[in-house]
Amino acid sequence: MSTSTVDQFTLANGLRLVTAPAATGQVAAVNLWYGVGSRHERAGRTGFAHLFEHLMFQGSANVPKGGHFEAIERLGGDLNATTSTDRTNYYETVPEHGLDLALWLEADRLGTLREGVTQDVLDNQRDVVKNERRERYDNQPYGTAVERLFANAYPAGHPYHHSVIGSMADLDAATLDDVLDFHRQHYGPDNAVLTVVSSLEPEDVRDRVERFFGGLAARTELPEIPDPSIAPRRDGEVRETVVEPCPAPGVFLAYRVGELGSREYDVSDVLGAVLGRGQGSRLYRRLVVERGLAVDTGGYGNIMNFSFRHTSSLLVVNMLARDGVSGDTLEKAILDELAAAADGVTEEEVERARAVLERDHLQSLASPGGLADALSSSAQMFDDPRAMLDWPERWASIGPEDVAALAADALAPSNRLALRFEPEEVAA
Amino acid sequence: MTRPVMASRPVLGPPEPYTFPAVRRSSVGAGDVIAVDLPGQAFASVRLVHPAGAFTESEDQYGVAMLTGDALEDGQEGNGSLAPALERHGAEWESWVGWDSFVTGVDVPVNRIVDATRLLADALRSPAFRSDDIVRRRDQIREAFVLECSVPSSLAARAVGSQLFAGRYAVPANGGPKRLDAVDPEMVVDFHRRQLANVAGTLIVVGDLGKVDVEGLARSVFGDTVRAQPPSPAPVRGAEGAQPRIVVLDRPGSVQSALVLAHRAPSRAEADLPAAYGVGDVIGGMFGSRLNLLLREEKGYTYGAGARFDLRRNGGQFTASCQVETRHTADAVASSVAEIVRLREGGVTDDELATVRESRTVGLPVNYSKVWSVANVLIDIEVQGLPDDHIDRLRAGFDALTAEKMLDGAREYLRPDELVAVVVGDAEQVAGPLAEIGLGPVSQVDPDALWS
Repeated sequence: MSTSTVDQFTLANGLRLVTAPAATGQVAAVNLWYGVGSRHERAGRTGFAHLFEHLMFQGSANVPKGGHFEAIERLGGDLNATTSTDRTNYYETVPEHGLDLALWLEADRLGTLREGVTQDVLDNQRDVVKNERRERYDNQPYGTAVERLFANAYPAGHPYHHSVIGSMADLDAATLDDVLDFHRQHYGPDNAVLTVVSSLEPEDVRDRVERFFGGLAARTELPEIPDPSIAPRRDGEVRETVVEPCPAPGVFLAYRVGELGSREYDVSDVLGAVLGRGQGSRLYRRLVVERGLAVDTGGYGNIMNFSFRHTSSLLVVNMLARDGVSGDTLEKAILDELAAAADGVTEEEVERARAVLERDHLQSLASPGGLADALSSSAQMFDDPRAMLDWPERWASIGPEDVAALAADALAPSNRLALRFEPEEVAA
Repeated sequence: MTRPVMASRPVLGPPEPYTFPAVRRSSVGAGDVIAVDLPGQAFASVRLVHPAGAFTESEDQYGVAMLTGDALEDGQEGNGSLAPALERHGAEWESWVGWDSFVTGVDVPVNRIVDATRLLADALRSPAFRSDDIVRRRDQIREAFVLECSVPSSLAARAVGSQLFAGRYAVPANGGPKRLDAVDPEMVVDFHRRQLANVAGTLIVVGDLGKVDVEGLARSVFGDTVRAQPPSPAPVRGAEGAQPRIVVLDRPGSVQSALVLAHRAPSRAEADLPAAYGVGDVIGGMFGSRLNLLLREEKGYTYGAGARFDLRRNGGQFTASCQVETRHTADAVASSVAEIVRLREGGVTDDELATVRESRTVGLPVNYSKVWSVANVLIDIEVQGLPDDHIDRLRAGFDALTAEKMLDGAREYLRPDELVAVVVGDAEQVAGPLAEIGLGPVSQVDPDALWS
């Protein structure tokens, strides 16, 4: 993917449009990133950004409830939406002749969603979201891990303290007026990046987007954005132990690292890959293969990077203990490996880590939908859709000394948040 | 509020005709090669397919194929040596064992395809297979299985086979914890010697192949191997027990129940695919399917409901799945069965027929916009013995679907009288209401008893 083939335009109403060619023909990928996520929510109204993602499929002035899904599915398209702390993302990949319909559907719900949301719709989707919460968080072993990490990693009142899905009580408290207000505050063309990856000429795409989105007005009032600033490191270890019906002890260790886009974040990406990405990583080699202490997840999932543009990111190590291995033993073994990284890593390890990162990066850009998502993300966070295409060059400049230095600094005990899950003992 | 000026809904023109990419076949030594050139796709998928799926395993060795697949990752030097070697090439090992096939491969940047394919061939043909490594892999699979079963939806999905089938399909493909324990390193070595070491298989290569010597790749993979022999599996047998019936796996305190409604289905070759898949789409294969609209969008019981046909070389199964709030468990089961019956009795609506026909035809460029999705079709063609223009023929079949064919398909392929409903949830709360819906007897089963 050459950066010279990416074009960008800004409509008069502030909508940022990015275009790029698709590697495969006859498809168009449409991807919208709205600059609203759970960090924009206020106390007592958590879960709104995500609830809103659901409501966006429930009909608008010219599209009936379920009509968006029906129209795209009829084209054989892929579609869905996701919500994170920082943004809400809507996307569809359709046969190229369906591009206009996809754009029209997106424009209609951006411009007129408030005419489609009723109390019945809200009640129904609130139930759906509560069941999503039960399915993903409450009825799963370790399901609340990420929610607990966020709650401990960011202090009460910080916009990243609460989970994206929100609490049951806040979901119950949501009124129709709250919901309509939220749309008014955050859903405007001036708060969105729209990317189209297709075989069409950039000017052709721009004309189509102008036709469908050009009549939408920018927001007249901008909401207050909660302050996300936080110290770059913790000032002491925090621990939480959860006893629940889980099958094995689970260890989660989270460390504050730099915000996405910073040099420190890039180094933390490489550090994370050296430690836990792939079967050549230290944690996999030492704790799964050599010592047999941790469950084998194929080299995936042992490192989670929660990358945030506006506040400190979290580098999380996660492993589950094997039969007969205690949580204490596993945690100590992980900590020994983290300490060893501070003593030094080899050039070969860093090379492998860079190769793995680059592989995953290229794979994520290989499909039209994946490329569109990366471009939207990059434009939204860095005001430059091409920024993420250069990631491999940034990793290339990172050496073993950088990695070891960050390990010594960021993986220090005082910057640690330890979350442990211990199986509940069941009476015989 | 000032209403924005919206453009009117666009009327779409006809879609551009789609043809599945040209398939290039050749033979190198004892092996077959299937290649698809996709210019511009710099990441290639390489797959090697052997007809050594789990269904062909003998009764005393259930799980040996999957354990062998895992043990290959220890490479020629043992001790997990393969993946790190591939990772240094920016390549990723891909391997899975299905009921009908044993697949190994790599995803790799095209400019590294020669080295990565060489590593693939070495790992497959002459692995170290150290006993310690195999035992470690076996124990890890067994423990991972237990972990997976702590997730209610996974437990429900794993339990279905034992309720529908006797014989191989009754036991999970990885053998389950008890069967797998009986598989020793010698069995793995023997399975590998008979099925993989010197058996050519079929090489599949997809990506931008403009500068790739595909035949050269094939020579590095096939060497002096011999041609694969078609498997001769045992016949498919059904499980005993009343039909329909409900089986509850107790998970005290669950706030949701994981449901799978399932029955046996014909084999891939026996089924009228457009009709079967079309019926699957309407009942549970799309967001706008009947089960999802009813259980999620109308009743708000669940985050999502789906259904599908899993049609194998030998027999198959239909499953409808969802997770519902505990207090709605019985109604969710009853409503799902009623919806299946309604489709059998009343057939599809004009809108549903149009949606199936259009989505399965005009959507093909979307389905195959990823390299790995094209590779998966080629694997399917090889494993199921399908013609190279399978996708184009299937499209013609969907184009020709009618409401009558869909009704026939619903009556042929949906069998509510043969359903088994597997419910993983709080038995104390759900068993009573489930008994009242009239879907046959309700029994409680100990999950640990399922895997023998």
